[in-house]
Amino acid sequence: MKRKLLSVTLMIAMVACLFTGCSKNDGSSKTGSNNAGSKTSDQVTLTVWCWDPKFNCFAMDTAGEIYAKDHPNVKVEVIETAWNDIQTKLTTAVTGQSNTLPDIILMQDNALAKNIINYPDAFFDLTNSGIKFDQFASFKTALGTVNGKNYSVPFDNGAAITCYRTDILEQAGYTIDDFTNITWKEFIEKGKVVLEKTGKPLLSNQAGSPDLLMLMMQSAGAWVLDENGKPNFKDNAVLKEVIDTYVELEKSGVLVEVNDWDQYVSSINSTTVAGAMNGCWIIATVTSAADQSGLWGVTNIPKLSCAGATNYSSQGGSSWLVCANSKNKDVAADFLGATFGGSVELYETILPSSGALATYLPAGESAAYAKPQDFFRGDTIYLKITEYASKVPQVSYGVYNYEARDAIGTAITKIVAGTDYNTAISEAQKELEFQMGQ
Amino acid sequence: MKIRLPLEKRRKLVSWLFLLPATLLIAGMSFYPMIKAFLLSFTKGFGKTSEFVGTYNYQRLFQDSLFKTALGNTFIYLIIQVPLMLILALILASLLNNPKIKCKGLFRTMIFLPCATSLVSYSIIFRSMFALDGFANSVLMNLNVINKPINWIGEIWPARIIIILAITWRWTGYNMIFYLSGLQNIDPQIYESAKIDGASASQQFRKITIPLLKPIILLTAIMSTNGTLQLFDETKNLTNGGPANMTISISQYIYKLSFEYSPQFGYAATISFIVFLLVAVLSFLQMKVGDKRD
Repeated sequence: MKRKLLSVTLMIAMVACLFTGCSKNDGSSKTGSNNAGSKTSDQVTLTVWCWDPKFNCFAMDTAGEIYAKDHPNVKVEVIETAWNDIQTKLTTAVTGQSNTLPDIILMQDNALAKNIINYPDAFFDLTNSGIKFDQFASFKTALGTVNGKNYSVPFDNGAAITCYRTDILEQAGYTIDDFTNITWKEFIEKGKVVLEKTGKPLLSNQAGSPDLLMLMMQSAGAWVLDENGKPNFKDNAVLKEVIDTYVELEKSGVLVEVNDWDQYVSSINSTTVAGAMNGCWIIATVTSAADQSGLWGVTNIPKLSCAGATNYSSQGGSSWLVCANSKNKDVAADFLGATFGGSVELYETILPSSGALATYLPAGESAAYAKPQDFFRGDTIYLKITEYASKVPQVSYGVYNYEARDAIGTAITKIVAGTDYNTAISEAQKELEFQMGQ
Repeated sequence: MKIRLPLEKRRKLVSWLFLLPATLLIAGMSFYPMIKAFLLSFTKGFGKTSEFVGTYNYQRLFQDSLFKTALGNTFIYLIIQVPLMLILALILASLLNNPKIKCKGLFRTMIFLPCATSLVSYSIIFRSMFALDGFANSVLMNLNVINKPINWIGEIWPARIIIILAITWRWTGYNMIFYLSGLQNIDPQIYESAKIDGASASQQFRKITIPLLKPIILLTAIMSTNGTLQLFDETKNLTNGGPANMTISISQYIYKLSFEYSPQFGYAATISFIVFLLVAVLSFLQMKVGDKRD
């Protein structure tokens, strides 16, 4: 009798589970049919993949709202997707010839040339779409231009800056002006004084990461690949100077190496180091330590001693691309042109809350950019950075950018660990030639 | 008119019908991609623009220094980690099989629990534990074992040891469960009579436990070899292959070739076939050495 009761109870429980399961399914299928319904009318939904909810997703949402004022039938749907996932999905979709891509994707500048050259059919040619490419910083449009065709609308600025803790500089007897428009030699000398008097290194860097080296290379308008796209390591005087400088920075203790990105961020926020040198998006990291407001200052980066050297460079940054498979590519192109390529209002809205700095030059004239920033001692840093962006030397990253960066990263790890420069560099060149030689 | 099959044939037909769905699924989901990948390994080019090049990719392997590094690293993990883990699992299993131990269930669960964690999250936790200012360094510093933090992930051998440690932590309990179930099948009378004959605990372990567990040891050895040759999550998330590619595994190199670098799917498929061959050869060797039943 007891058993029967138990089995009946279990049966009821199972049936109940089944029904609740069904009702859930009902719910989701309903929303599905709603979506399908909206497509049949004049409504256009542009789907966008980008990765940072506080930064580029926010900017895209804002752009969608601005565009919807004049085009109430266009809706922008942002799907948060990590950059690595975007790259993987893109490669899979294009080589598998499946139509799983959204209308617009955001792409790291480092990967622009690689993807556009490998998959020229995957992206919509924006050259004749009416977007005014000459209103963007030229080094950014150059990255997304292949065979004279523009494929990308530049988004955020990667112009290189150095942030310094002015209170620590003062303890060593310096002001931020002593670190403006200087050379790397002066930087190391002053860095040694700061280290001696305060015990703080000026910089931190992720061990084995090529970012800082590439930033230094670009500041002299030089690159690790020559104009024919061939590896150019062995007799590259600029590369030699960059690596020598890096090794000296590391050996003198002016720069400390950390192992991963989390440690890099914490070294800046917890004042292990007195400065940070990176693309200007690093401001978001610096300002996240709210208690250090009023202590930081921003200036340009040191320059190398070779010909063509400047105090300006770029690191990171990203651009928007329209997928060629999109059914609404003309709408997408018009949307990008009207917002990221034409709306100062957009940049004014996203700047204060996300720090998203434009490479759209007219935005630099807006009042929002001229607003003094209390965190940086009342300095108008956004005007400064927009000015830096216009002076960044133009280089072509090329298809094999990731391979080249990896090779450099491996070489610098070996050199810091004690391997001879020539050995490490010729190994790196050989490795890169192998990867490119298929 | 109905065709009547003899009973024997009908039975066979029914059993084949039962096998059919699984066979079709395995063929479609597993063998078809394998054949496709094999064909892919004879092509080169980026994505769509690929051309047939014969054995070019296989010849290319011999000049690839990064592939050699990855292969070497994977073998270091294999040679050190697999025996270490299996011996540890065997010892733990025979300890926990002792009927006199209390709270057996608790200990078994505790040792098995790491297997329930996600590969990515435990790798990230290990990375933060062995950071310069991480848990491991602060414990060692407070115990005065070291006076300067060790750069675990930044140096070649410490980084490799961390990876080996991490995999061992994650998979020992998994193998232990196999051994435990094998031990349950050994008749306790054998141990009793050995005890009466005066065999010590270590003698019992060597002369009874290990020989009787041999088929299961063989199984775990093949599974662990296979798993280690396909190691990916740990090296990707713990060290990301660094420093200077000295901890990169073969699978991570395949990932790099496919998704980080300009995609060379043909070459990546070639390397995955080498992994396949290695697994096949090593398993065959282990079966020849370990299984002497026929």
